[in-house]
Amino acid sequence: MAPLQKRALISLVIGLALAIALIVVFVTRDINAYATDLGFRLIVYALWVGVPVVYLLLINLTRLTKLKQVDERDRLIMDRAPKIQWLSVIFTLVVWYTVLNDLYWDQGQLPVVYLTLILISTLVISALAESLGILIGYWRMNRNG
Amino acid sequence: MGRIENRIRRLRFDHNEMTQEELANRAGCTRQTIIALEQNKYVPSIELAFKIARAFSVPLEEVFQYEDS
Repeated sequence: MAPLQKRALISLVIGLALAIALIVVFVTRDINAYATDLGFRLIVYALWVGVPVVYLLLINLTRLTKLKQVDERDRLIMDRAPKIQWLSVIFTLVVWYTVLNDLYWDQGQLPVVYLTLILISTLVISALAESLGILIGYWRMNRNG
Repeated sequence: MGRIENRIRRLRFDHNEMTQEELANRAGCTRQTIIALEQNKYVPSIELAFKIARAFSVPLEEVFQYEDS
């Protein structure tokens, strides 16, 4: 396994764990308490900042500081990964749009907390999708050449 | 469409059984890229191709061949 591939896998696993923790926090607590409960907000901030930080440390710093571990084949795979990122982000936004439209169309307004949730989920999905894109890139290259 | 073949594995053995790691270090790439090249699952850039040929001290054409299909 290439060093970058290993890092992408680790960051995907850690990122998924943090994302699941984020979902659990929102499911187990009252979503409307987000605006008033500081503790709730701090937990969420810590979790959603954690995902991009893990991604930054494990993937981007590899590119910047350990150039010997990343060669032209790795860079080619990294350059293709944003396609998966864009697709994932667009898919996330479409899901949010559809679900919120369906739930709140009659009321004509949304709870403000959803703006935060849309931002958090888009950033988290974007970070996870880059790791996933790198892993898919290695898989496709090993399979098809 | 043509296909680019290589003789990297053969050349490694001809050069005192040079390891993939050693070739990777000489060519400035990772061992995984050498593995992918030997399995014909990756076509290198011109620069890497020259570096590999230089690592074996042979002309480029002795390492890589273009084959019409």
